[in-house]
Amino acid sequence: MLQRPTSFATEVLRYGLIVLVLAFIVFPILWMVVTSFKPPQDVMVSPPRFLFTPTLDNYVHAIWEKNFLFYIKNTLFISVTSTVLVVVAGALAAYSFARYNVGDGHILFFILSTKMFPAIAVILPYFLIFRDTGKTAVGRFLGVGLDQPGALIISYTMFNLPFAIWLLVSFFQDIPRELEHSARLDGLSRMKVLRKVVFPLAAPGIAVTGVFTLIFCWNEFLFAYILTRKTASTITVGVESFFTLQGILWGPVAAAATISVLPMMAFVLLMQRYMVRGLTFGAVRG
Amino acid sequence: MSQSMSIPASQTRRPATMSAGMSDRWFSILLITPAMVVILVFALLPLAYALDVSFRFADLTRGRLGDFVGLDNYRIVLADEAFWKSVGVTLQFTVSAVVLEMVLGIAIAFLINGATAGKGIIRSLMVLPLATSAAVTGLFWRYLYDTQFGLINYFLGLLHLPQPNWLGDYTIALWSVVLFDVWQWTPFVALIALAGLQALPKEPFEAAELDGASTFRVLRTLTFPMLKPVLFLVLVLRTIDSVRLYDAVAVLTRGGPGTTTESMTFYLYRTGLKLFRMDYASTMAVFFLYAMLVASLFALAPLLKQFSTRASEG
Repeated sequence: MLQRPTSFATEVLRYGLIVLVLAFIVFPILWMVVTSFKPPQDVMVSPPRFLFTPTLDNYVHAIWEKNFLFYIKNTLFISVTSTVLVVVAGALAAYSFARYNVGDGHILFFILSTKMFPAIAVILPYFLIFRDTGKTAVGRFLGVGLDQPGALIISYTMFNLPFAIWLLVSFFQDIPRELEHSARLDGLSRMKVLRKVVFPLAAPGIAVTGVFTLIFCWNEFLFAYILTRKTASTITVGVESFFTLQGILWGPVAAAATISVLPMMAFVLLMQRYMVRGLTFGAVRG
Repeated sequence: MSQSMSIPASQTRRPATMSAGMSDRWFSILLITPAMVVILVFALLPLAYALDVSFRFADLTRGRLGDFVGLDNYRIVLADEAFWKSVGVTLQFTVSAVVLEMVLGIAIAFLINGATAGKGIIRSLMVLPLATSAAVTGLFWRYLYDTQFGLINYFLGLLHLPQPNWLGDYTIALWSVVLFDVWQWTPFVALIALAGLQALPKEPFEAAELDGASTFRVLRTLTFPMLKPVLFLVLVLRTIDSVRLYDAVAVLTRGGPGTTTESMTFYLYRTGLKLFRMDYASTMAVFFLYAMLVASLFALAPLLKQFSTRASEG
């Protein structure tokens, strides 16, 4: 877009508005972090206190009394496993769609349409199915049942695959085919070409897809809430356990929320360049 | 160009050492198999199951799935006022949240696009809400909305403005959920609109400048028509997400006060897993699914097709 010469006044107005917008966006997160360092007696006060002696009490409470590390451990295991499964199955399929155009685009659009499924329509039958499989020996062995990690891993793999395939297709389309051709002519098998030429070239795209999947799994709530009770609960459900008879413990909630949100923020900042592309399934290349 | 040229070449000039003699066709099918198995088994099977349950009597308090009851569940659900009310709440939420996010997001994109310095930092701060889970930050927003200790009412008090009971007032609660959603998702719209603005070609705008076209005219005849595909995509993506509203409601209001913020997903959850009527819940799920599939067939598929063909040409 063309920049018209602007006056000093419009610049002041523009940056004034931008600061206002950013304040609205950042303040809730900032207040969360600030609250997490407040001593308990300064959290539930009116008017809110802005000056206080920072303390780690809330973190200690969240980790020791509420066993928050347990939820983090669950979340890590479930998210990472799902992400690996999504990336491996997704990359193979996406390469096939990008290069060989399997199914003439029809299969690709069928995959996309599953992305439109309202999660709840799948969760209710999942609940019934996992309730039954959890009682069988095989189900228990694989951890596929209610309140077992396998149930969430299956759900997350299923729900993130469509998005991952679409995003990966866009990355594979960016890789020139010529390199693969010359490698094939050099006598490499298709699998070798995939492993030695294509995947290394697509590594950034695969990494971006993986991080997006990880963030989605990490932040997921509905499946975790319905399919787990205690042993396989993730952080989003864990924070719910801060509801007590005395009310919600806002200090520890803020601490737990900060712990669970910060790593994802770091990821998002690292991947800023790919945010637009990731959020639009690869449609807008940003 | 070079891509389309190279396709026939790959089919005619086969390498001498064809490994195991596998054809391109079989290789390509082999590659999609793992993903397709996951999708077919874990998406279609549950849906078939839901469809089956929707034709049965299924009260979980009485144990296993019951007898086939024909269309009874469909009749009952269609006559269920609470179901239609949840549809209404969902639509009201979707329309208000999406309209607000689109208008604010586009405005913010223009604001940032015109900025001369600091775009990087502005963008970094804007993406932060997108990294957070609605279930976690939403819970914290309850603290912000608190009538006694909340920061929002404290600021309103300083400005001598009315201090509403954000989550407890029947007329306001849904708007509080909307406000939270706007906080989380306006940056998404802004980010993508900004990417669209920055990808616009320069020449038409320079020509318009030379012709002395007014800013309004440039916007109406150049900027918006060229941005339309991107904006429409954002609109569709936001709409699909909004009609599935659950997390924010679950942590902010739990459907209350009364049932004023009970979205479709929340009502389905309550019917199936709190009242244990899996039959009604599955029937509603079938309706919901059908509506979404029809909508995506008409809105999203053509749109993404358009983008993907353009990308492979470009």
